Amino acid sequence: MIDFTLTEEQRQIQSLSRQFARDVIAPQAARFDRDESYPEEIVARAAGLGLLNVGIPQAVGGLGLGMLDEVIMGEELAWGCMGIYSVLMASELGITPVLLAGSEEQQERFLGPLVGKPSLAAFALSEPDNGSDAAAMKTRARIDGDEVVITGTKMWITNGGLADFTVVFANLEPEKRHKGVVAVVVEKDTPGLSYQKITGKLGQRAAHTAELIFDEVRVPVSNILGEPGDGFRIAMRTLDRTRIPVAAGAVGVAGRALHESTKYSAERQAFGQPIGNFQAIQFKLANMKIGLETARWQTWYAAWLVDSGKPHTEASAIAKAYASEVAFDAANEAVHVFGGYGYVDEYPVAKLMRDVKLNQIYEGTNEIQRVVIARGLQKA
Amino acid sequence: MKIVAILKQVPDAESRLRASASGVDLDGVTWVMDGMDEYGVEEALRLREGGLDAEVVAVALGPDRYEEALRTALAMGADRAIHIESDEDLDPISQAKVLARVVEDEGAQLVFTGGKQADWDSSALGPAIAEFLGWPHSDWSTQLELAGQQVRVRHDAEVGTEVLQFPLPGVITTQQGLNEPRYPTLPNIMKAKRKELKRLPLGEVEQVEARTEIVSQTLEERERRGRILEGEPAQVAQQLVQLLRDEAGVLAK
Repeated sequence: MIDFTLTEEQRQIQSLSRQFARDVIAPQAARFDRDESYPEEIVARAAGLGLLNVGIPQAVGGLGLGMLDEVIMGEELAWGCMGIYSVLMASELGITPVLLAGSEEQQERFLGPLVGKPSLAAFALSEPDNGSDAAAMKTRARIDGDEVVITGTKMWITNGGLADFTVVFANLEPEKRHKGVVAVVVEKDTPGLSYQKITGKLGQRAAHTAELIFDEVRVPVSNILGEPGDGFRIAMRTLDRTRIPVAAGAVGVAGRALHESTKYSAERQAFGQPIGNFQAIQFKLANMKIGLETARWQTWYAAWLVDSGKPHTEASAIAKAYASEVAFDAANEAVHVFGGYGYVDEYPVAKLMRDVKLNQIYEGTNEIQRVVIARGLQKA
Repeated sequence: MKIVAILKQVPDAESRLRASASGVDLDGVTWVMDGMDEYGVEEALRLREGGLDAEVVAVALGPDRYEEALRTALAMGADRAIHIESDEDLDPISQAKVLARVVEDEGAQLVFTGGKQADWDSSALGPAIAEFLGWPHSDWSTQLELAGQQVRVRHDAEVGTEVLQFPLPGVITTQQGLNEPRYPTLPNIMKAKRKELKRLPLGEVEQVEARTEIVSQTLEERERRGRILEGEPAQVAQQLVQLLRDEAGVLAK
């Protein structure tokens, strides 16, 4: 049975997210983009509405929303601003390893306190010298009595330094490569942990991105998720899921690009008529629509697989790579439809292109997604 | 005390409508709760949150899809909902007869509904409900205070405002400015699923027949006048100011 009908609840989630994106996020997006400042008030309002950390299970007081719920919400919020949505999305990314590998006690200890508050989580895997080749990480961990001690530097960490806790991946036994990796929860204000905000980003400038420095950071061994050595697998399983909201965000940006282009091409006159009368523009709009719809269905499909407990590695890789490419193309075409006005920040479309470029890069570059897809094909 | 908030589900203001010989085509329209009715739901919730011991009941008369608007009201915080199901194009007076019956059956003392309904573009619903019930009412209300059984309402008049006072029970129709309706929160959306939503076929509530029939529907076509003023810049500017003031009425006289 194939059924694309949303539940009543999902329609309400969609409508709330849409309203919030249109009324609250979109009107302020340009300011945060220009100032490269963290949208504290918007995040607080989103948290008040329950739009933050939606994956926290009901057992510890959260809403326990499914992946399809999350992507429906994500598409709408990203329509308003991909950068602001990234703050919320990265927090879901931060809680996911705890959901997947944390014990009940750990879920209660780490996730419970986030409920109902504008509190964020973060996920720290990439380093200054390695991203895609995650197993090559240089951050080290050692066990000292009942503590684990972490030293190293993590890079490009969304919510880094602001988050109440960060799941850090470090290597206990570097000679074992990825089999030596451990996933550790490090709480904010732990001595030895510091951060440096990264500025000068091309897009998603409302999202706070940081370099995290771990200098002999000590946390109890009870903060280790799963077993020592499980870390790499936990990271990969996390990303298998959280790439789907990255795709959803891209779909939101594509939708915004189409919305702005349709509106503008109906108003802008050239040669005595609206430019939307010309096939050159009509084809661009139609192509955006084709990309938008197909990317959305792949994203929903991947989310449905997660919610159904089915394997989703390949589907999420396809959704992420495809949606982010489709969205970048749509934003690029939107800039073209707007002509000169597309090239200045007075109009919203230049920002769409700058923002959505990152969806092709973070949470596994689109090249890595293709590696994942190809490996699946050649495994047999 | 029981408060009834009557609501409708109407096309989102941004929806594109098309009209043909068979009427307005509503396919592909995004439906939302009528914005004016939202003020009523919000005001009822605020009264309750302000300490009034009240049950807030959301009531709608209309086709299946109205259920979504009722769910929104439940997610905003209404205690329960009643959906009187009907696919008929009932005129506002016939609707009022049905809704007045529901208010009576519920034993409610205060009724809110929008100052105007976006579907019929009529302001009759609230006053007609008051008429059927024999209750006082205030239309286009922008401020409300409740002290015991006494209601004080500020409402818009042609130029300026009036403050009315009457004892409950009563009907209040709303208007922009009354409040800023809240968003339903996600936790409340989840909780709304467990709240009671009673469905009643129209025939079980009240026997009514539409008193008017819709014969045709067309959409307003807005043509731009596109008037171009010519002459010396100073003259043109003067002419423009005059037109904006006297014809367009956008500048104060």
